[in-house]
Amino acid sequence: MSELAFLGLADAAQLIRARKLSPVEYTRALLERIERLDSRYHAFIRVTPELAIAAARRAEQEIAAGSLRGPLHGVPFGLKDIIDVAGQPTTGHSKVGDNIATADAVVTARLKSAGGVLLGKLATHEFAIGGPSFDLPWPPAVNPWGGNHFPGGSSSGSGVALAAGMLPAALGTDTGGSVRNPASLCAITGMKPTYGRVSRRGVFPLAVSLDHVGPMTRSVRDNALLLQLLAGHDPEDPGSADVEVPDYAADLERGVKGLEIGLIRHFYAEDMQADPEQAQAIETAADVLRRLGASVREIRLVSLQEYATCSRIIIRCEAFAVHRRWLQQRPGDYGALARQRILDGATVSAADYIDALRLRGRLTRRTLEAFAGIDAALTVSGMDPPCPIDDAEACARMYPRQARQPFNVTGQPAIAIPAGFTASGLPLSLQLVGHPWQEATLYRIAHAYERATLWIDRRPPGL
Amino acid sequence: MDEERVREIAAAAGLDKLTDKQLTEFAAAIASGRALAEMLPKDLHWSEESALVFRLPMPARSAR
Repeated sequence: MSELAFLGLADAAQLIRARKLSPVEYTRALLERIERLDSRYHAFIRVTPELAIAAARRAEQEIAAGSLRGPLHGVPFGLKDIIDVAGQPTTGHSKVGDNIATADAVVTARLKSAGGVLLGKLATHEFAIGGPSFDLPWPPAVNPWGGNHFPGGSSSGSGVALAAGMLPAALGTDTGGSVRNPASLCAITGMKPTYGRVSRRGVFPLAVSLDHVGPMTRSVRDNALLLQLLAGHDPEDPGSADVEVPDYAADLERGVKGLEIGLIRHFYAEDMQADPEQAQAIETAADVLRRLGASVREIRLVSLQEYATCSRIIIRCEAFAVHRRWLQQRPGDYGALARQRILDGATVSAADYIDALRLRGRLTRRTLEAFAGIDAALTVSGMDPPCPIDDAEACARMYPRQARQPFNVTGQPAIAIPAGFTASGLPLSLQLVGHPWQEATLYRIAHAYERATLWIDRRPPGL
Repeated sequence: MDEERVREIAAAAGLDKLTDKQLTEFAAAIASGRALAEMLPKDLHWSEESALVFRLPMPARSAR
């Protein structure tokens, strides 16, 4: 069972193609594992076993008939529960969000049409902003790494399900770092693609001008395969861009020799002081990349605080615009954390919101200027390893201590991958940031680093 | 900020169903929003506008 639990998407696809793995048996094995483990980890809000088995049967019949749709055909996946699935509720992990979706989100439809087997809907921070919270209809997801630790968020269920071997692929969303945060704290891989790369239609918004949907997997190769299925223009998403989608796996094996990588050290050594083990993990990663043939030199961007000001004003204003009616009518149905964070947007003036948008343009220009002459940049994702989930003060302290928001502001692609473990066995991570539309370069660097370090071969204790 | 003023600001935003505890949260939100706005650079100019662009659909191609 453990072998199937931690089977990656690419390996599963290969076994299914060779008829050595039955999609139905694979799906059953993962459903049994979810049944056994999820009362401890709370990764799922809703498991849909009948639908999953039916989808797996269809896939198996199609493949037996010689019709293979691609790498996700017959492979299970999960969706953060702000992403619509026709006929199912999209709860946002909230008492407030109880609508039944009338259609699949574009990303749901894409994964279904690729033959993927949806196992269910995954836990999130309430409406992708308030968590970890204990005053919601479902408990928060718990990190399989450590005794009872925070898994990050807001795509917390996606990170936890992957780390616990409940599925090989999941989707998250990222407005201020919500794919990369759980990826970092759960020792998995999470990509925030370029703004406009993946459609958000059918995904409950947090802040439309900063929202992204991103693939979450255990390995970099799997992530590239999943993004391949998601990427593409959607004329009905006003943020979507009509830009050619390359083959993301094509350059994975090219290595990093000759690449120029910028190291953004001031984020974690000056603007904020990262946990020493986390900071050291980045320095060590820079050395690994140098040893593999990349040139790594320090670059400077604007301070983290400026990006954070811009991002926080935009998120709060746009989120309040989404939630205003509900907050006016039923404020008590929100958890305290989400309510407080969204209420922040009620008092920011329209002029300040517009100034934040102007600041976004300025920060983006300056950041892209700093990227001239490099292929990608390396820095921290978060400043800290996971804290105990029931330590509300520690979780609140961690919340703003991150370097992910800048790249929601600029829209650049950014990937978080494992970068080692603390002395006590908790995950450390790194973040790679690319030029707009250059996700393939990030996958190439991340894959080279992953192969050189093999952090992804570690399993959470007892799993 | 006194409680009455917080209630007035909440009412102006249509938030007249907040409990006393939620009004305390709202008072913190007011302070947080103001602190954030204070941190914005003071030299931002309308020529830097990048987001609020209204675009009409492109004209349909003539059938002729």
